[in-house]
Amino acid sequence: MSSSLLALMIVGALGQADARGIVAEAQRRTEAGSQHYEGTLRVIDSKGKVADKRWVYDRLGSHGSSKAVLRFTEPAEVRGVALLIVNHPDRASDQWMWTPAIQRDRRIALQDRSTRFFGTDFSFEDLEERDVDQYEYRSLGDEAIDGAACWKIESRPTGRRSSQYTRSILWVRQDTHAYARIENYKGDELVRRLDYREIEQVQGIWTARVLEMHDLGRDSRTVLTLEKLEYNVPTRDEDFTLQALRRGR
Amino acid sequence: MRYGITGPAKAGLYALLLLAAAPAAAQTFEQRGFVELRTELYPREGQRDDTRAVAEALVRYEPAADLARWLRVRGSFDARIDTYEQVARSWSVDIGDRTRQRPALSVRSANATLSRGRFAVDLGKQFIRWGKADIVNPTDRFAPRDFLTVTTSEFLAVSGVRLGWGGDADTVEGVWVPWFTPSRIPLYDKRWTVLPEEAAGFDVIDGGATFPGGSQWGARWNHLASGYEYSLSYYDGYNHLPSIDAAVYPTFAPPPALALARRFPRMRMAGGDLAWPLAWFTLKAEAGYFTAPDRDADEYLQYVIQVERQQGELFLVGGYAGEAVRVRRTVADFAPDRGLSKAFLGRASYTIDPNRSVAAEAAVRQDLSSVWLEGEYSQAVGGHWRATVTGVFIRGEPNDFIGQYRLNSHVGVALRYSF
Repeated sequence: MSSSLLALMIVGALGQADARGIVAEAQRRTEAGSQHYEGTLRVIDSKGKVADKRWVYDRLGSHGSSKAVLRFTEPAEVRGVALLIVNHPDRASDQWMWTPAIQRDRRIALQDRSTRFFGTDFSFEDLEERDVDQYEYRSLGDEAIDGAACWKIESRPTGRRSSQYTRSILWVRQDTHAYARIENYKGDELVRRLDYREIEQVQGIWTARVLEMHDLGRDSRTVLTLEKLEYNVPTRDEDFTLQALRRGR
Repeated sequence: MRYGITGPAKAGLYALLLLAAAPAAAQTFEQRGFVELRTELYPREGQRDDTRAVAEALVRYEPAADLARWLRVRGSFDARIDTYEQVARSWSVDIGDRTRQRPALSVRSANATLSRGRFAVDLGKQFIRWGKADIVNPTDRFAPRDFLTVTTSEFLAVSGVRLGWGGDADTVEGVWVPWFTPSRIPLYDKRWTVLPEEAAGFDVIDGGATFPGGSQWGARWNHLASGYEYSLSYYDGYNHLPSIDAAVYPTFAPPPALALARRFPRMRMAGGDLAWPLAWFTLKAEAGYFTAPDRDADEYLQYVIQVERQQGELFLVGGYAGEAVRVRRTVADFAPDRGLSKAFLGRASYTIDPNRSVAAEAAVRQDLSSVWLEGEYSQAVGGHWRATVTGVFIRGEPNDFIGQYRLNSHVGVALRYSF
C-alpha cells in the first residue's frame, strides 16, 4: 500500500470520526427530559395558495429513546387528529395516527412514511427524531449558511435504519452546534430541504424558532413556527401510549 | 316512545353536569363542532316511497375539559331537522338512542375519563371501536350504528364502563355495558326499507322492539410487536342488529297489517385482528366466530383480509370479506355487516392538494351479481368551510343485500362549516 493512499485513508477515517463527533455533540447539546411547544404551520403551495394549521407537540426524552405526541388544534375540521411517535435507538420509529371522527387509530407503515403529513411538506419520517447512531457520516468541509460558519456533513442511514432518503447533507453551526440546514436526497435528487431559522437559546438549549421545509418536487413550502416552547416540563410516560392517544391527552 | 335514564346513562348525565361547569373550573377547555347541510337526490322512486329529494341540517357541538390532571370530561350534542321525517319532530332531548327516528336533540355522547398511571376508566355514554380492518369489522361489537340511510351510516355511542390499562407494548381493556343500544334500522315507510314481494299486499307497521334487559361485556388485549400488532377479543352480549319477527293482523278494512317486531338475540363472539406492515403493503386481517347461546340466531365465522398501501397522495385499500355459517337459524334480519360478506371490498382516496381530495369505495359480490360504488369529491374553502359531492351507484339482484337497494342510487351534496 502506498504511503499516499494510507495517508488518504487516515484522513478519511479522521474526517468520519470528526463528522460523527460533531453530530454527537449537536445531539448531546439538545438533550432534554421533555419538550413542549405550540406549532403554527403555514403551507404555501407552488401557486402561492396558503393554508394555515396549528398543532401542539409534546415529547418525552430525547432523540432515539424519545416518544412524542402531536395533536392538531387548527383548522377546526382536523382538531383532535393526533400522531404518536415512538422513536427507537436502533431502528425506524413506530407511528400511529388517531382520527377522532371515526374513533380509530391507524399504524403508519414503514412504506407510508414518505407520505406528506396532513397536507404539510413534512413527511411522516421527517417527524421522527434522528439519532446519531442510525447514520454513517462523512465530512464535506466547511460552508456558511446565512453568514454563519457551519460544518457540512453527509449522513447515510446504516443498514438497520429504514429511510426514504438515500443520504442527507447536514449543516451544523460551528458556534452553537445547532443545525442550520438539512438537505435530503433520493439517489442524486434533492427532494426536501429543511432550514432552521431564528436560532436562540431556550433554557440553555440552542433552538430554531422557525423551521422551513421545502418540498422541491412540488415546489411547496411549510413554515413551522414554535411558540410557547419549553424544555423539561413535567411529563408523564403514560401520556405517550396508544390508550392516551385515544383518550385525547 | 320515551325511555328513562338508567345505569351508565346516569353516569353520562353526571359527566354532562361536570361538563356544564367545566368552562369555569377546567384546567383546559376545548370545543369543536360543525353545522352541516346535506341534500340527497334520488333519480328513481323507492319500493315503498316516491320521495326523491331529502335534506337534513345538523349542528354538532363537542366540548371537552380537563377538570383535574386525572379527570377529563367530554360530550357531543346534536341538533337536527330534515324534510323526510327520519328525524323526530319531538324536541325532547334523547340520551338513550333507542328511538326509531333520529332524535331532533340528542346527547350523542357524554363521559368522564379517570386516569391514574397507566390505568384509565371511561364512564358514561361513549364510543368504543374494536378491530383494525376497514369497511367491515367483525370484532367491533360495541359499535351500533344509525342505518336509516344504509350507505351513510353513523356510529352510535354505548352507555357503560370501560377499564383500560395501557403499557408500551400491551393494551388491555374490559368493557361492561348494562344499557343496550340498538342499531337504528331503516324506517318501514321509507325508501331504505326493502321488503320481499310477499309483503306487497300488506300495510307494514312497526311491531315494536324487545330490548334485552341484561348487560353486555367484553375484553380485548392488543399487543404491539416489533413491526406488527395484533389483538384478541371476546364479547358476551347481544347483537345490536335485530332479527325481525313478522306477524299478520287482520284489520276491519283491507289491507291486513304486517307487524315487524325487532328482537336482539344473545351473541357471543371470540375474535382477533392483525395489522402487519410488509415491504410493499400492510396486511390486515380480522375475524370473529359468533355463537347464539339462546339458539335463536345463526352461528358463523366472519373474516376480512385486506391489504393497504399509501403511494404518495394515493391511499388504497382492497380486500375480501368472507363468511362460513355453521348453524343457520335466522329467518329474517337486518344485517349490513353480514350483507357485505362474500364480497370484494375496496377504497381509494387521493389528496389533490391540501384543500381537495377525491375518494371511491366499492363492494362487489363475489359472483359479480351485485355492486355498490361510491365516489366523493371534497373541497375545503378557507379554514372553516368544506363542500362534498357524493355519488352512489347500486346495481344487483333483488334478493341480495346490496342489490336490494338498486332503486336507491343517488347523488348528494353536503356543505359543512366547522368551528
